[in-house]
Amino acid sequence: MESEVLNPRSTLEGTHNAPAVPEAFEFVREKAGIREWRLRSNGLQVLLLRNTVAPVATFAVVYHVGSRNEAVGHTGATHLLEHLMFKGTAEYDREKGTAVAAVLEALGARFNATTWFDRTNYYETVPSDRIEVALEIEASRMRGALLRDSDRVPEMTVVRNEYERGENSPFQVLYKETFATAFREHPYHHPTIGWRTDIEGVSTDRLKEFYDVFYHPNNATAMLIGDFEEADALALLDRHFGSIPRSVRPIPEVYTVEPPQEGERRFTVRRTGQVAWVALSWRTAAATDPDTPALAVLGNVLGVGLTARLHLALVEESLALSVTVVPWQLRDPALFSVFAPVRPGVETDAVESRVRSEIARVVSEGVTDAEVEKARTQIEAEVIFDRDSTDQVAASLSEAIAVADWGWYADYPDLVARVTADDVRRVAAKYFRDDALTVGLYLPKQVTGTGPAAPAPVSEVTGA
Amino acid sequence: MSAPPLPKRKVPFVEAIRERTLANGARFLVLENHFNPTVAISGSLNAGGLYAPPDRRLIASFTAGELAKGTARRTKLEIAEELESRGASLSFSAGSGDPVGVDVGAASLSRDVEILLDVLAEVLLTPAFPEEELEKERMRLVGVVREQQDQTSARAFEAVSRKIYPPNHPFHRRTAEERIAAIESLRRDELQRFYDERYGAGTLLLVVVGDVESGKILDGLERRLGGWRSGPPREIPRPPAVAPAPGEETVVMPDKASADVILAQPAGLERASPDYLPCVLANSALGQSSLTSRLGVRVRDTEGLTYGIHSGFSATHLGGPYAVSLTVKPESRDAAVAATLQEIQRFRKEGMTAKELDDEKTSHVGRFKVDLASNGGIAHAVDSAVYYGLGVAYLDEYPSLVEAVSKEDADACFAKRVDPDRFTIVSAGSFGGPEGSSVTESAVSSEGGSHSQTSPVP
Repeated sequence: MESEVLNPRSTLEGTHNAPAVPEAFEFVREKAGIREWRLRSNGLQVLLLRNTVAPVATFAVVYHVGSRNEAVGHTGATHLLEHLMFKGTAEYDREKGTAVAAVLEALGARFNATTWFDRTNYYETVPSDRIEVALEIEASRMRGALLRDSDRVPEMTVVRNEYERGENSPFQVLYKETFATAFREHPYHHPTIGWRTDIEGVSTDRLKEFYDVFYHPNNATAMLIGDFEEADALALLDRHFGSIPRSVRPIPEVYTVEPPQEGERRFTVRRTGQVAWVALSWRTAAATDPDTPALAVLGNVLGVGLTARLHLALVEESLALSVTVVPWQLRDPALFSVFAPVRPGVETDAVESRVRSEIARVVSEGVTDAEVEKARTQIEAEVIFDRDSTDQVAASLSEAIAVADWGWYADYPDLVARVTADDVRRVAAKYFRDDALTVGLYLPKQVTGTGPAAPAPVSEVTGA
Repeated sequence: MSAPPLPKRKVPFVEAIRERTLANGARFLVLENHFNPTVAISGSLNAGGLYAPPDRRLIASFTAGELAKGTARRTKLEIAEELESRGASLSFSAGSGDPVGVDVGAASLSRDVEILLDVLAEVLLTPAFPEEELEKERMRLVGVVREQQDQTSARAFEAVSRKIYPPNHPFHRRTAEERIAAIESLRRDELQRFYDERYGAGTLLLVVVGDVESGKILDGLERRLGGWRSGPPREIPRPPAVAPAPGEETVVMPDKASADVILAQPAGLERASPDYLPCVLANSALGQSSLTSRLGVRVRDTEGLTYGIHSGFSATHLGGPYAVSLTVKPESRDAAVAATLQEIQRFRKEGMTAKELDDEKTSHVGRFKVDLASNGGIAHAVDSAVYYGLGVAYLDEYPSLVEAVSKEDADACFAKRVDPDRFTIVSAGSFGGPEGSSVTESAVSSEGGSHSQTSPVP
């Protein structure tokens, strides 16, 4: 199974006859076509996956730091720092006309950086003859960021607008509020974008401190996926990353554990609008937990496609406009969530009770073998589709590294393939308890005052 | 400094692609790519909103959306089960961005490609438009329209398209209440008639890319679709040209932390026009990227007024608007609009720099290659090149076509299509007084002088 899924026949073509690898690296292991190396000088983990589908390659660096590593007063710092990494490093500086984005844009690169609960990642997909530019940029970012106050000030308002855009979205408001309600002690409590006044108030010095604690080769994984020769790639990686020292102090661990939830929690958000939303989330397990594959299969059984149970129960029955099921997979125990915008004219109670009864049915009756087989096939196909493009592989691999390690990405199809209907019923009974549930409602607020009643906001025309 | 040479594809597209056109007009192209055991299909046929009555444009998107909701042989859920049990997907959509075409998209593991083609042919040739599915979709779509009314971006887009384009124009967007009334009154026989009149092999184009045997796919497509009626010819009636209608409008929406602002004007740039590449290169320098284009550097990077600012031409078979869109907190709107207009004016006056043109050329050629790195990306590129009449050879010639664009061409094309003094400016968000307030003052009125500021740019 594994070899068919994860070892496309040409993946390793040519690598065995490649020139000798540099002494600077030690070979660690190989799985599913991915070869892991470690830079001896500083502990940088390097993953190589050759994929010659097109003359391009994706280079990505994942840092093991996310909003999970933040605390009161500097929520959002990881993300703001990620933004500042585009402003200036010793070698790539907007003030000298060599901004990272300008250099990459001129190559036609597809690039960005993202921050999430457990990690920050930087990536660029480039024509394969320009791989070195991507490596130079990321090496420069690793210890060379300038982090000037004159960069933070205008970027803070950019990030604040990103926050404001999120506040416009009922889905985002609900998911932030869900985590804030379900997690009280663990830092998943606060959203990756941060609280508004923390975004505004965090100092440049605090961001620098954060950078100096977490941005080191021994807290990062570099990966190259695409059209390259292994020995050449390792030589380039050594040239650009080899001289960066490992951190002097150990990287701090997160030790906060969210205690068990002892009773259903509910919240309501009221804002002007026309469509209500319902969100139900149960506390579950960490990504590396043996229950995760069964929860993933259950996520598909409930939420993927027109024939999924919650789609049939909510959308086919005209109770909801759509339904999204998210079996969150994070480093620490997270949630299994269901989100649905309610069809206008339908009570939110009707949607909430229908979701609860469908979940209760899974707990009491389980799911069918055919449903499990379908979900397993869907997940297997997703993994294969990932291999269609280098940046999708990089994205999936980055998430695996963030929540477990890259071997988990390689093992995942096998883990999913072993899930049975009994496993699904067992995990449903274990996690879908009312005491572990958080219910959130987003309710349209009636407009008061002299204007017209909702749902008819007003257009005013001025000017020529 | 000119663009560094990029490695060439080993086999040109014109040689790698196998193509067949049937007697009924259907056109198929297949490219084998055996790296990964998947297949992607991208295609189109001319049955978009342009061909529906002006007051019933949504018949087109409705018809496309209902194709897979049941056939002569199977129900919606039986069809969905066939695809979903294999992790395969199939979709038909007619959006307002391209009023001419219905987009066909499909993907599966290559071992399932015959089943995917079976379903594709079944829903194209024998849709049943069951009444009960129609009723469910009416109810859902009314909700979706209401949901869009809560979105600042959708409200700004609707308002600007109404302000620029007259009611019968394919780019005009009806009000939410008008659309809801149209959805609720839509009858099954209207869909059936639109399908009977507009759907046929004469305009059908399907591009298949992936781990397949091209001969087998071409034969299979011919066997399944060779007997379909030709249907209407490929003609595309052009709506009359529209003159800019400068002015401003504010859509007041309470409780929105971020506002959407769109500056737009009709530009009439068609995808197949010789002006297309020069115009697109010029626009890239001005506003294609929030991070590196002039608008992004000024309004986001330097002034910190927005998370995102983009500009672009809508160029399909029909020339649509040129639009700049950005998000801001409401209090920052006037400063952001003033800075935006100032940059556009400066760009229009001075044109691109030589470095900008060089960078945009390498960027476009490089991005083109990066986008061709997946079966889906290749299928989409081939589909577009053929759909817009550019031909498969266009994909091979693209780098040299980009390289041939001069600064004079780019500046002249942009100046011909975009006039900084003729924008329609629409904002949607929490402007003005308390919630529910029905009146707001637009501070970006033309009297305010923000259009004609010429102060130096930092």
